[in-house]
Amino acid sequence: MPAVEVLNLTKSYGGLLAVDHVNLKVDKGEIFGLLGPNGAGKTTTIRMLTGLTRPTSGTALVEGYDSVKECLEVKQRIGVVSEASNLYNEMSAWDNLMFVAELYGVDRNTRKSRTKQLLEAFQLYDRRNDHLITYSKGMKRRVRIAAALIHNPDVLFLDEPTSGLDVQSSRLIRSFLRELNGQGTTVFLTTHYIDEADQLCDRVTIIKQGRIVVEGSPEELKSTLEEKHVIEFAFNRNASDVEKLLRENLAFKDASKKGDKYSIRTVDPSTAINKIVQFATSNGLEILSLNTRHPSLEDVFIKYTGLDAVQVERMEFLRAVKGGGQRD
Amino acid sequence: MTNDTSSHLSEAWSSFVFKAIAIAKKDAKIYYFKPQIAGFGILIPAFLYLSFSLGRDIPPDFLIPGLVGMIALFGASSIEAISIPIEKQSETYEILQTAPLSTTNILFGKSLAGSAFGMMLSFATTLGAVFITRDSIANPLLFLVAMIVGTFAFSSFGMLIAAGVKDMPTANMSLTALRLPMMFISGVFIPVQSLPVWLQVVSYLTPLNYMVDALREAMTGPSIMFAVDLLVLLFWFIVLQSFAVMVLNRKTST
Repeated sequence: MPAVEVLNLTKSYGGLLAVDHVNLKVDKGEIFGLLGPNGAGKTTTIRMLTGLTRPTSGTALVEGYDSVKECLEVKQRIGVVSEASNLYNEMSAWDNLMFVAELYGVDRNTRKSRTKQLLEAFQLYDRRNDHLITYSKGMKRRVRIAAALIHNPDVLFLDEPTSGLDVQSSRLIRSFLRELNGQGTTVFLTTHYIDEADQLCDRVTIIKQGRIVVEGSPEELKSTLEEKHVIEFAFNRNASDVEKLLRENLAFKDASKKGDKYSIRTVDPSTAINKIVQFATSNGLEILSLNTRHPSLEDVFIKYTGLDAVQVERMEFLRAVKGGGQRD
Repeated sequence: MTNDTSSHLSEAWSSFVFKAIAIAKKDAKIYYFKPQIAGFGILIPAFLYLSFSLGRDIPPDFLIPGLVGMIALFGASSIEAISIPIEKQSETYEILQTAPLSTTNILFGKSLAGSAFGMMLSFATTLGAVFITRDSIANPLLFLVAMIVGTFAFSSFGMLIAAGVKDMPTANMSLTALRLPMMFISGVFIPVQSLPVWLQVVSYLTPLNYMVDALREAMTGPSIMFAVDLLVLLFWFIVLQSFAVMVLNRKTST
């Protein structure tokens, strides 16, 4: 029996189809990533799986239980970490975890030992009696994840677990998720950090405009790209029309600029390098660096969504600036 | 009923109560254990009452039930009416939604906190009022029972407002718009019998009327009307709670 099985799951808000006949399966013990740009339907999908939103049609089974008809059975077996670090700021980390444990019916002795164990694992035990209002965003997210694990769930759902966090907190969370998965917990996460999905996930599904566009393991997906090589290079000056010239004159249709570097995908790196060198010479540009590498998951993401990670992050940033209340 | 079914039911019931108490304790920590909250819970209704009753010759067995009923209404409904809008805004309501709890369980836990707070304030007010007026309560136990059932009905009234509104200002406005007229027609300041007939009819549709009447019955020596008052208050509790659950379910499951 899979940990999560979704059949024709659909959600519409009025005339807007947020999730469109999605089918997916997550095996027990997997780390599964749902990737997609803002507004793709990731959060709506996770909310339907966790019983927070009622699907318009279709079925979502978690650990064999229907997320609508048997939602209490589902909720007992899952942990949920939403994007907001939503715990009670007026209470300490210790009290928050003890309260959540009570909601899941964890007995008194287990409550105390589990709370202590989790706060230690997340390096927060020394601050256990401080109210959450005094915590940084990264610390709050760690407490939130700890709260979702207090009843030892079979499946952990995380919506953008490291979004907007400092490097230390992100690393700690990623390492904890790997450890947790090693102990048998199934992890279902959404993220717009493609590298994170690449490092963590056994399998990923890319969703766009409510529909699944591709799924597989990160390595399988990378191997689906026809262009097996990526060439990254930088010139001594950033002429404004370089990207356009690369696309039009050299037929590098997917040429993109990231920071001071340009990137293209190709099946024939040797010819492409020659073209880049000729292009630099004829335009009076000096090549500062030129590297070839295999495609990354981000390249897969760009191919299937038409957006690159920078655009996704920019959209997330704008959403955060506007208040971040919007669901995708 | 087989042993298995009965043990399953008792397990489900004890889990329901245990989780409701957990929610009530959490609400108490967040909202009630603040001196200003307790102060306002007593001071506002007390000042309202005194400003109306000072200079008038009101007998203590009329004054005390009215004052206690009003404080019970304020204490039990004020915070719970705003707690859900606040928690929805801060997204902490999702903690309750993602836990294995029914909406009935969540609202019962919150009602428990509201009624416990209302009872605490009403009890303190009763002690103070009895001490000042030197009056006595004919049946203190029934007075307490009326207080318990009444505060549960009032906290459910707060819950229904909380379930129906989007934000805190709307919750506060709705509370004021409904509580103020309720106070004037429920026999708190003036006997219901002295109201125009149409207002008397409206008065019999408000839970406050029945609580004040039950408290007066307990204070002066209860009659059969005490049982009627109690049943109507229980009816109000069930109806308001059920409506609140229905409204909240409809609003949160989209």
